[in-house]
Amino acid sequence: MEDISQKPSHRALWLGLLFTMLGPISNGLYFLGFPASAVVWITVLLPAVGLTLVLIGLRRAFGQSPYRDKVGGAIAVALSALVLAASVGVFVLSRRLPQPSTGTPQMGQRVPDFTLPDSAGNPVALSQLLAGSNAGGPPKGLLLVFYRGYW
Amino acid sequence: MRGIEKRLGEFQAQGVVPVAISVDPPNVSEDLRRKAGLTFTFLSDPKTDVIRRYDLLHSGGGPEGHDISRPAEFLLDRSGVVRWENFAEDVRVRARADQMIAAARTLQ
Repeated sequence: MEDISQKPSHRALWLGLLFTMLGPISNGLYFLGFPASAVVWITVLLPAVGLTLVLIGLRRAFGQSPYRDKVGGAIAVALSALVLAASVGVFVLSRRLPQPSTGTPQMGQRVPDFTLPDSAGNPVALSQLLAGSNAGGPPKGLLLVFYRGYW
Repeated sequence: MRGIEKRLGEFQAQGVVPVAISVDPPNVSEDLRRKAGLTFTFLSDPKTDVIRRYDLLHSGGGPEGHDISRPAEFLLDRSGVVRWENFAEDVRVRARADQMIAAARTLQ
């Protein structure tokens, strides 16, 4: 087996590629119960570290003469750059959200009443939910969860 | 949504009723509820009337440029006053059930 420790450029390239590939895979951390707020950063940080290492490896490869693996190094850089660009793209798009403004209900404000159909098509009023018309007494509170929808 | 469903008992113990709202029409919400095993109330606002009134419109945020709601959570007390709220900065990062149950505990 080849002793890669004798070739620091190879070591940095391979380590960089490993970090790059761990980037997309790290999305799975969410399903393992890691907090999503941390996972979204990890998915970008890993490929960023990966590309940095690959670039270090490439620089070393060009510094060594004669060095045989300049093409491999260039491919590694292209791959890492692509994965990083895609990861950053998803990150930026996921954060492109309108900021809550003065029209959004604030802490301590009473929210406006409304009536909307439920998933069975029956009209339901907020006031009706607050009054607890369905079962038991009135609830202590309501948790309104606005979500993007599954379309 | 699954996080809320999983801990529905804890919400109920605090006397808090979760209600989900999106632009999805009732049949789409019903599909989601059935597939994901969600039992709490889902309301449909396909014309974004309420989403606009709450100033949560994400203009062109849906597929093919449909207007949708930005993700947001409001905990209302029994008189409909906001006691806790959360606005996601990233569509992939929603309020955790822990946070919402902790907020529910503070309700009188």
